[in-house]
Amino acid sequence: MQTAHPQTTTLRILRGTVTNGKLVQQNQDFTIPYDATTTVLGALEYVKGEIDGSLTFRRSCRASICGSCAMVVNGRSRLACKTKVIDILGGNEAKNIAAASVAVGEANVIEVGPQRNQPVLKDLVVDIEPFYKKVKEILPYVQEGPEKEENVTKDSFSQVNMVSNCIMCGACYSDCTAMVENPSFIGPAALAKAYRFVSDPREGNKTERLKELSEKNGIWDCTRCGMCIDACPKGVAPMEAIVKLRSLAMEAGITHTEGAKHAMAFKDDIATWGVLNEPFMLLKTKGVMGAIAQIPNALNLAKVGKIPHPFPFDHKVEGLDEVKAIYAELKKNPLDVKTKAADSGPGAG
Amino acid sequence: MAQHDIVIIGAGLAGLRAAFEGVTAGLNTAVVSKIHPLRSHSCAAQGGVNAAINPADDWHHHAYDTVKGADFVGDQDSIDMMCAEAPQAVLDLDKMGCPFSREDDGTIAQRAFGGQNFPRTAYAADRTGHAMLHTLWEQAIKYGVHVYDEYFLMELTSENQRATGAVVMDIRTGKLQHLQAKAVCVATGGYGRMFAANTNAMTNTGDGIAHAMRAGAPAADLEFVQFHPTGLLRSGILISEGVRGEGAYLIGADGQRFMQKYAPNKLELASRDVVSRSMVTEINQGNGKNGGVFLDVRHLGKHLILERLPQIRQLAMDFEGVDPIDEPIPVRPTCHYTMGGIRTDKLGQSIALKGLFAAGEAACVSVHGANRLGANSLLETIVFGKITGKDMVDFVKNREGRDGVATDSTHAVAKVSARIAALKARPREGGVRQSSIREALVNEMQENCSVFRDEARLNSAWSAIKAAKDGLSKMYIDDKSEAFNTDLITALEMENLVLMAEGTVATAMERKESRGAHSRTDFPTRDDEHWMTHITAGYDPATREVVLGRDAVRITGNPQYAPAERKY
Ligand SMILES: Cc1cc2nc3c(=O)[nH]c(=O)nc-3n(C[C@H](O)[C@H](O)[C@H](O)COP(=O)(O)OP(=O)(O)OC[C@H]3O[C@@H](n4cnc5c(N)ncnc54)[C@H](O)[C@@H]3O)c2cc1C
Ligand code: SF4
Ligand code: SF4
Ligand code: FES
Repeated sequence: MQTAHPQTTTLRILRGTVTNGKLVQQNQDFTIPYDATTTVLGALEYVKGEIDGSLTFRRSCRASICGSCAMVVNGRSRLACKTKVIDILGGNEAKNIAAASVAVGEANVIEVGPQRNQPVLKDLVVDIEPFYKKVKEILPYVQEGPEKEENVTKDSFSQVNMVSNCIMCGACYSDCTAMVENPSFIGPAALAKAYRFVSDPREGNKTERLKELSEKNGIWDCTRCGMCIDACPKGVAPMEAIVKLRSLAMEAGITHTEGAKHAMAFKDDIATWGVLNEPFMLLKTKGVMGAIAQIPNALNLAKVGKIPHPFPFDHKVEGLDEVKAIYAELKKNPLDVKTKAADSGPGAG
Repeated sequence: MAQHDIVIIGAGLAGLRAAFEGVTAGLNTAVVSKIHPLRSHSCAAQGGVNAAINPADDWHHHAYDTVKGADFVGDQDSIDMMCAEAPQAVLDLDKMGCPFSREDDGTIAQRAFGGQNFPRTAYAADRTGHAMLHTLWEQAIKYGVHVYDEYFLMELTSENQRATGAVVMDIRTGKLQHLQAKAVCVATGGYGRMFAANTNAMTNTGDGIAHAMRAGAPAADLEFVQFHPTGLLRSGILISEGVRGEGAYLIGADGQRFMQKYAPNKLELASRDVVSRSMVTEINQGNGKNGGVFLDVRHLGKHLILERLPQIRQLAMDFEGVDPIDEPIPVRPTCHYTMGGIRTDKLGQSIALKGLFAAGEAACVSVHGANRLGANSLLETIVFGKITGKDMVDFVKNREGRDGVATDSTHAVAKVSARIAALKARPREGGVRQSSIREALVNEMQENCSVFRDEARLNSAWSAIKAAKDGLSKMYIDDKSEAFNTDLITALEMENLVLMAEGTVATAMERKESRGAHSRTDFPTRDDEHWMTHITAGYDPATREVVLGRDAVRITGNPQYAPAERKY
């Protein structure tokens, strides 16, 4: 689909510089040519190469595997190299992308800004130190210890595989709502990484890890808003990992923490509330990001503009019967902590 | 200034594996990387890593396949060592926690790969490099390797033919620093970005090799560049061989298959170099479109495409704008791997500069010779990361490395600082944009120094190199600031890439035969009598030009390794 006369559109970039420790940000518009295959990264490269070499962003693989290029594109954190200009302009339902809504004159514009929840260093580059510091805090390596299983089988890594798809791009961290309220929250990527070890049969200190993770700023600080599932370009579903960690922690009897107590109460309350927000539902109901227990909290955040639009938290379960039915199902079939992630086919070499 | 026992430039698989040896031997070990270690290009490798782990396999067969695949200019001692050490190197990674895929009985699963007689490719789903890289990074954290994260190599320092360290720039602040070391290792990966069509990360600009050449450590095998037959026409994004395995056809602009003319038996599944050459022949004869041919899966049917090739379909739709169910996918041979690198002895030390080591794609030990086998380069990174790491430890603890040689840091930093200032001071007026230098260079390299070469083409490429060097002297940058100046970084990468391209064209002109990935239509056959040798490429600071030399292929005397015709 090569077009003889390329169309153009406006790329609105939130640029920023830090002078004497103070960040000053300002939008700057650029006109970029595009066709059916142009990515946001391609558009940024065009600006840097042809118009203004001082435009600053990270990139390397251009194939959504290195994790360099996560940024906020039209309100949501995405990989620039994976996001196509036409999908942003016109929307793409299959990819769960809403059409751009801000226009210059007749045409919609593409808005690009740095990731959230992290200090901006320059233009689209944020300081990744704090993000990685938290990943390091969970001691990200297999440890020797009493719970190590010697035997590994074909299915041993089905859980590990799902979370180890993570490319540490930070998109989930950038869109995480719990982080807005509590910047010390360890965050979705670090917790998904923690689950990678807890679910590895070769890990020797699983219970010790669960104890650590149940403390302040850990698994119980997540609001279960589901933003991280939506943001993740690699299908890691950090929230699901967090819920599995919670279940494992409770199974291991680590119930003394605030969050765990709350969760047990939630279980009892649910039938009377008539609303339900278990990830069980979330994962089955596409596009739902409701956080029922957190509605008031989420509303507050939305009011101060900290939550990216759209933020639909309106998933209400219709009748109590349905809730009870679902709950009975959950009881019969407790959260599937042993779900398998399918191995994908042979690669390129 | 900072002082370390070992400084490693590059935090991909090779660099991190070498760092593991340094730090676990109790040495003060630092790693420098221009991008966060996990962003290193190693993460892109999908297919797997070769090792004769299966008791029914034999590393001698792996070694023979490699010698033959290399078209007999690989160094036989290094190849033997790599293949013999391979099983242990993979098991080391497994022990560190790498989630390799498993067979039913729990042993490491292995699949078949091109050019080999046994299914000996271990893998972790379809993201082997990614899984290995994360594992080695985890170990670096566990053992406390000092990581200079987002620091850029500006210069390798040396004193009397001894490497003494590196001047690096903290990208975040723009500050320069001299890192003194007793042993320095370059593990900066390849330089595939010099071709318009490539599968490489944008950071693969050959920085470390170029700096080693400038510091007096020559490179070798630069003429050998591997082209993968099926990169997407426009982006170079890789379409796996597996698609042809599923029965895809290669067709020309006339809509007809053509591989029966070139490889009547194996057709689309002939070896990479053969298929790439056939495609370019068709394109040159006018049977291409926009410089490519087509990969056609339409006959496989919608059902099979949706079921077996969903990722490929998505890539074609996203990056080429075609749905393979209805239209053939435009593809062209695409630079995938660079065999050349810093010429080393069998343990990874430069043949010319003491104390300078190299590992991984940046090195030329040379286990790939004229043509790398699929899944042998991940292996090279972990085996030679380990071997070279151990040799550096020995060098520092027991050999010349014990008595450190120092370079005057203030002077070294001042020199680099002046270079940066000069680049920033260049006026826009009458200057050249780096994007125009790059564009002209990569198109010329693609056109005239890629799959087929001959004297006329190479002369044309040589003129383009001259023009690029001329352009470099007028290249200006827009960003004059200190902090996170990526405009400056890409300009410096450009300087390195041009030197690598100069070396590639010069060695390709020199080698008057066809061997492995180097195919000269004016010298179409292999000439063992004259060319069973490595061509080295050094840099002469006086003339600012590449100087060529020879280095013998290391032969073990194993009669099985005697050159034979390479048939598959
Ligand atoms: C798409 C693709 C698929 C592949 N699949 C396979 C496969 O299945 N099997 C296989 O065996 N091989 C495969 N390869 C090849 C293999 O991935 C590479 O050869 C290998 O990973 C190189 O590793 P490395 O450690 O040498 O370098 P890299 O991983 O490239 O790391 C280079 C490091 O050097 C640093 N660096 C570079 N320049 C500077 C500088 N100036 N200053 C500071 N730091 C610097 C970078 O930051 C990085 O950390 C594939 C390659 C590609 C492109
Ligand atoms: S589900 Fe939890 S971890 Fe994920 S974005 Fe929401 S609050 Fe953050
Ligand atoms: S979990 Fe997903 S979004 Fe978060 S860092 Fe990993 S890959 Fe990125
Ligand atoms: S450039 Fe690597 S993920 Fe986008």
